[in-house]
Amino acid sequence: MTTPPDIQITTARRSILQRLSIVWLIPVTTLLIALGVAWQSYSDRGPLIEITFESASGIKAGETVLRYRDVNVGIVEAVGFSPFLQEVHVSVRLDKTIAPFVDDDAEFWVVRPVVTAQGVSGLDTVLSGVFIEGLWNKTPSGLVASHVGLADAPLLRVGETGLQVVMRAQGSAVLGEGTPILFKGIKVGQLGKPRLGGNGSEAVADAIIYAPHDKLISSSTRFWDISGFSFKIGSGGAELDFSSLASLISGGITFENILSGGEQVTNGTQFAIYPDEAAARASIFSDSSGPTLELAVVFDENVSGLSAGSNVEYAGVQIGEVTSLRGIYDEVQFGDSRVRLLVAMEIRPERLGLAEGTTPDSALAFITDRVAEGLRARLATASILTGGLKVELVQVVDAPPAMVFVPDEGMPILPSTANNIQDVAATAQGVLQRINDLPIEELLGSAIVFLDDASALVASSDVQSVPGEIAGLIADARGVIGSEDVQKLPANLNALLAELQGTTTDLRRILDQIEQADTVARLLAAIDAASAASKDVGDAFVGVPDLMEQLSALTQTASALPLEKLVTDITTIVNTANDLLASEGAMALPEALSSALAEVDGVLAELRAGGVVENANRTFASTADAADAVAAASEGLPALVARIEALIDQASTTLADFSGSSEINRDVRSALREIEAAASAVASLSRALERRPNSIILGR
Amino acid sequence: MQLVDMEFARSAEHVITARDAGLVACRRCARVWPMGTAICARCGSQLHSRDPKSLQRVWALWVAGLMFYIPANLYPMLQTRTLFDSSESTIIGGAIELAQSGSIGIAIVILVASVLIPVGKFMAIAFLALSVRRRGLLTPRQRHALYEIVEYVGRWSMVDVFVVAILSSLVQLSVVASINPGPASLTFAISVVFTMMSAQSLDSRLIWDEITDLKE
Ligand SMILES: [Zn+2]
Repeated sequence: MTTPPDIQITTARRSILQRLSIVWLIPVTTLLIALGVAWQSYSDRGPLIEITFESASGIKAGETVLRYRDVNVGIVEAVGFSPFLQEVHVSVRLDKTIAPFVDDDAEFWVVRPVVTAQGVSGLDTVLSGVFIEGLWNKTPSGLVASHVGLADAPLLRVGETGLQVVMRAQGSAVLGEGTPILFKGIKVGQLGKPRLGGNGSEAVADAIIYAPHDKLISSSTRFWDISGFSFKIGSGGAELDFSSLASLISGGITFENILSGGEQVTNGTQFAIYPDEAAARASIFSDSSGPTLELAVVFDENVSGLSAGSNVEYAGVQIGEVTSLRGIYDEVQFGDSRVRLLVAMEIRPERLGLAEGTTPDSALAFITDRVAEGLRARLATASILTGGLKVELVQVVDAPPAMVFVPDEGMPILPSTANNIQDVAATAQGVLQRINDLPIEELLGSAIVFLDDASALVASSDVQSVPGEIAGLIADARGVIGSEDVQKLPANLNALLAELQGTTTDLRRILDQIEQADTVARLLAAIDAASAASKDVGDAFVGVPDLMEQLSALTQTASALPLEKLVTDITTIVNTANDLLASEGAMALPEALSSALAEVDGVLAELRAGGVVENANRTFASTADAADAVAAASEGLPALVARIEALIDQASTTLADFSGSSEINRDVRSALREIEAAASAVASLSRALERRPNSIILGR
Repeated sequence: MQLVDMEFARSAEHVITARDAGLVACRRCARVWPMGTAICARCGSQLHSRDPKSLQRVWALWVAGLMFYIPANLYPMLQTRTLFDSSESTIIGGAIELAQSGSIGIAIVILVASVLIPVGKFMAIAFLALSVRRRGLLTPRQRHALYEIVEYVGRWSMVDVFVVAILSSLVQLSVVASINPGPASLTFAISVVFTMMSAQSLDSRLIWDEITDLKE
């Protein structure tokens, strides 16, 4: 049975392609694809870097990612230990494209959720688990495979620029991580994690001032703490001051350029944080920068109260401080065996007002010159309360000549003068004496007695009976208002007014009579005729124009019509005319004029005959009587008003003393208000009468 | 037809193959033709006494299936993401985790369905393909039974993939929890497809040829 296989073999041997099944393409293609994928993933694979952390809490191999600007750029492949288990080694597979940027500058830290007073950060890691964040610059300078991870996130985050400085906390200033640095209320930076600095005597923290605010920082910048709040009571009232809620909780730091013209600072510059603004401002006087001039003074007195650090002042300005003090005994130099006080001082030349860059030598020369003019050092009281002393440089008039003594060794010695301590002490004593002398106890005694009296008064039956008095008072007031005088007043006034109206009617009637008689028109006509006549006379008579003028004035006066004046005017004119007529020249006047004048005469006569003038006079007299009566009545009014007012005043005072809001009190007050209103009405009526009695008469 | 074969084999003392009888059967419509007929006159399919490229196809698909089975075990089958955690589990890793957490029963089911059966299938197919040419430990009848088993089990090999598909579609609770199929589920499915095709490519008539060889 070998033939069938033979046949098969011979047929199969025809071609290797025919012998092979096409199905082989499947595994071959699969293999090729697998190889391709493997090669590609291998060639795309980035390098492995190793980051060393103190602790790898939350980091998981194969899960924890490396992020740069919130983009995954790598994944943790393994977490292990350093040889002696000091640290955790985290192997991170980097993206190939990012690898060249991970150079020496690269920083890595683990991002965990953090909750502080300033806010919550890293919240996304709660769900996603922690991740490693990387930060590196934008210049690729080759991969560095081994890095040391940071314990905390760096202050300057990705894409931020700014100035990195070091803050040293002095005094009671408190540093806290993330404490904001505020400038005029705007956050311009923040503090990093504080640590103990130096030999443990101060807290130090890195701080960042973000660009562009970093330009605000100069060598003359002073920082101070604005944590918490301050409360002060002064002449301006109470003042509560805190900068922001966040700074209230977590603290805050602010700064200001206290001196002008500071220099730009570089990264890493150290700044002190002062506890408050006052300390910060005062600090410019205690800064140990620049050259100092060392001087010594020997004081004859050895007074306690001066210590190292005490101020040295010149013209009220602190120019330096006492560095040390000790007793000195030198029989040769001073001529006796007393122990004197040798005070060493440090003077800052720039505070003497000398130009910047003044050397100690030139400062010494300056002081030497001043000493020649009488500059002396003396002890003075710095604080009455503490008894602390300071060294003062003062200009002493008529000082005995002295000079700066420059020994071969040691500091130049300033001449001294009598101290200023006694005075101040005496003053203080005087002040205290005066305070002692104050009759405080007597004052208190009187006050106590007064208070006793007052309480006794309040408790007394008199005061208790005040409501009764008030009731009496109200009764009085009602009596006044109900009195006959007051009740009668309106009736009197009415009668008065009726009378006045009667007179006014009389007056009107007389005036009507005058108008009816057409006297004025007739007068005018007569005058017109007279003037016509005088025109005819022409210039022959000098007196006539005068007459004419008088006549025109008369006409006007007549129009205006105060009757009496009219009558006198007319009389005058008539007299003048009579004189004129009686004159020789007038004889020659034409007849017309004579008749005109005669007519005027006639009118006047008629007027007189009609009793008009007398009537008018009588009426006027009667009016005057009425006015007098009114005036008499009104004279009584002020007295009444005054009486009412006095009553009200008394009532008000009583009520004010008797404080309270009881029912009776309210009643009394409203009654008083009514009385007051009535009184003021009466008063205004009386005032009106005083001012214009005519208003009642003439009805205006 | 195979059942008929079996009945026939059981009743007869020894099996006479179609080839022995000088015949060739159509694999599509089962019509028997005289040896040498090239094309089935009934259905038009090509007639081969033995499929000449059967073993090649078996091996090619077997290799492809095996190649896909490797990543199916290396890559995660399931990606489980919960609120605070996300985990990926491979087949064996998942089974071990289950066993450690106490669910030994489920772990065994997974291991049987995803490891034992596929691996057994690979071995069975390889054994069958090899035994065509070489004298084996088993009789043709046993090998045919093995072939039948492989064929029968093959259709259940996708259980894993089904489980993953159902879990992925059911557990999609947005942020809280979600299950996604891992890359292994795809390669596992492809691997299963290839092994099924590989098993079907085996011309089962080849199993019986050896008997005639042995007989002589
Ligand atoms: Zn057919």
